[in-house]
Amino acid sequence: MTGIWSIIALLFFPGGLFVLTCGLAYEWVDRKLIARFQNRLGPRWFQPAADVLKLLAKEEVVPAGVNPVLFKWLPVIALAGALTAALYVPMAGLPPAFSFPGDLIVALYLLSLLTLCTGLAGANTLDRFSIVGAVRTLTQLFSYEAPFMLALLSPAIVAGSWQTSEIIRSAGGQWILLTQPISFVIALIGLMGKLELPPFDAPEAETEIVAGALTEYSGRGYALFRLGRGVELVVGLTLVAALYMGGLAGPLDFALKTLGLLVVLALFQTLFARLRIDQTVGLWWRYGALLALAQMLVIVGAKVIA
Amino acid sequence: MTEQVPNKFIVPIGPQHPALKEPGHFEFSVDGEIVTDASIRLGYVHRGVERGTEDRTWVQNLYLIERICGICSHIHATAYTLGVEKLAGLSAPPRAQAIRELFCELERIHSHLLWIGVAAHEAGFDALFMYSWRDRETVMDLLEELSGNRVHYSCNVLGGVKFDISDAQRDAILRGLDFLEQRTHHYLQVVTQDAAFVRRTRGVGVMTKEQAVEYGAVGPVARASGVERDVRVDAPYLAYEQFPVQMITDTAGDLEARFAVRVRELFESYRVIRAILDKLPAGELMAKMPRKIPPGEAIVRVEAPRGELFYFIKSNGGDKPERVKVRTPSICNFGSVARLTIGHQLADAPMILAGIDPCFSCNDRAVRIKRQDHIQSWTWSDLRRYALKKYSA
Repeated sequence: MTGIWSIIALLFFPGGLFVLTCGLAYEWVDRKLIARFQNRLGPRWFQPAADVLKLLAKEEVVPAGVNPVLFKWLPVIALAGALTAALYVPMAGLPPAFSFPGDLIVALYLLSLLTLCTGLAGANTLDRFSIVGAVRTLTQLFSYEAPFMLALLSPAIVAGSWQTSEIIRSAGGQWILLTQPISFVIALIGLMGKLELPPFDAPEAETEIVAGALTEYSGRGYALFRLGRGVELVVGLTLVAALYMGGLAGPLDFALKTLGLLVVLALFQTLFARLRIDQTVGLWWRYGALLALAQMLVIVGAKVIA
Repeated sequence: MTEQVPNKFIVPIGPQHPALKEPGHFEFSVDGEIVTDASIRLGYVHRGVERGTEDRTWVQNLYLIERICGICSHIHATAYTLGVEKLAGLSAPPRAQAIRELFCELERIHSHLLWIGVAAHEAGFDALFMYSWRDRETVMDLLEELSGNRVHYSCNVLGGVKFDISDAQRDAILRGLDFLEQRTHHYLQVVTQDAAFVRRTRGVGVMTKEQAVEYGAVGPVARASGVERDVRVDAPYLAYEQFPVQMITDTAGDLEARFAVRVRELFESYRVIRAILDKLPAGELMAKMPRKIPPGEAIVRVEAPRGELFYFIKSNGGDKPERVKVRTPSICNFGSVARLTIGHQLADAPMILAGIDPCFSCNDRAVRIKRQDHIQSWTWSDLRRYALKKYSA
């Protein structure tokens, strides 16, 4: 890829502006769907963008006792990680902007950066809600990350490649979720855990610890974290849809499949009461990890026999 | 704070906190996620209501008393009018008594539905929160249709009630109750069977019967622990003898039981309201009340949605009360929170707190002051000395 195209890919499409806009749009769809499921009206279409713009315009208060460099740069790193991950997935149904053998692993690690930064941001401040939130964020990271990775890697094992585009090509348009339903469900729920969506929102349970790790953030930092979460939602949905739902043939296919998954996510968010952090850990390690592992063993076994 | 007390990590909840809709201060010492100690400080919304009653006439006080609580406004006014009527040696006509009871039960319905929503929100179950509050609008609309107001119905006057119930209003109430009853069946199912929700309530904040008695718990909190304590049954007032309610108790004593008891009480309220509307006694709405009340003292106990509400009223024969003492149910239940949260997860603490259906502003009439030597209670002479010192300068 030549220089000019790389810059376009980084700043406008599929990275940069496109993913940011997409993130805000998906956040709105998510909020609106949940609101409708709960018999509320929900926000107007530009509400997420308005929230972010307002936050960006606000003064950023750096509380006493924090490392100011970390405090300012952690949100930037978080957003950058999520944006970079977008370059390695088939955004909008087009081939990934950058691709190399093993890009799936890179994308997964870049997606974890946001959670890690959130945890560090919480641990960086002296606020007690932030510290409890940070501990919970990191605890949650350790509980869903392994099953989530196992779940996303099982299509890779079938394909015999760690390259996203290669996995999709080898599936040949087949919906892997039919043959590997367990890991599909784990991947989808893992994504909810990653994004701290209800019922996995113990790290930011407002009735206990206000806003969790991000309690002390206001203005720019908070806006960047929110943007990062929106981007991660889109990237995660794209990844799950591409791996499990027979690849993404074009922009329309992309929109249909990812929005379809978003409806399922919104339903899950409405249906359940918040899990306590110990319940989250128990769920993932007692069921999620074991089931993902079992699924993987079955696949490996099938491959060996074949 | 953490630097001052190095071996204690205290999570403060309040006075301003998203879990609290009213100000109160709770300090939970935690070891990781486990609560090891809890302390409560109340008194942020002390409004001087009791003192205020002494400057107003018996009739003017109705207005003030009804504003002690924004949820159970009617029951306060009812307790006050019952006390004043007792002092004056007369009682409201039967039809007025029945209408007062009707309002009491409608108020209980809206209070319990409100509580289900708040408690579900504490558990992060916003779908139940939104649905229960949507359905609560039914009873709010009914109250508005009957009285013109959604919250402070101003139904009571000394010696009776202000308005009658027409046939059209009766039909509207019955229709509303049918809808609510059907929804309440659904809520009972949710709070006792929804797997995700029950995981947050079953076995959480268990209070045994002995503990409930020891802490002096009242209302649904006590009944959920198997303590048979309901003023409507124990000492019927208003028309509760003619239209009795059954006491709803549970034995588990955990949060789930508190949910179940409150939801099942709703059915009891629907039944009683139907019975009242069916056999509403005919007659006058008001008895003639003297402007000055003969000297004497009266004690009134009524069952507010949150438990026993206690009024002490003293008259010196003038047109103003000499003393009105109010003890609201929340203050009796707060003590249990401090004990029950210990040993539980931090995540359970706001739920246990919400489980008693706390109502801060009706509590706060006396301030407990936390001193350096950690003595929390002040004697009368202490208070007097404190006041003289504070205001002498």
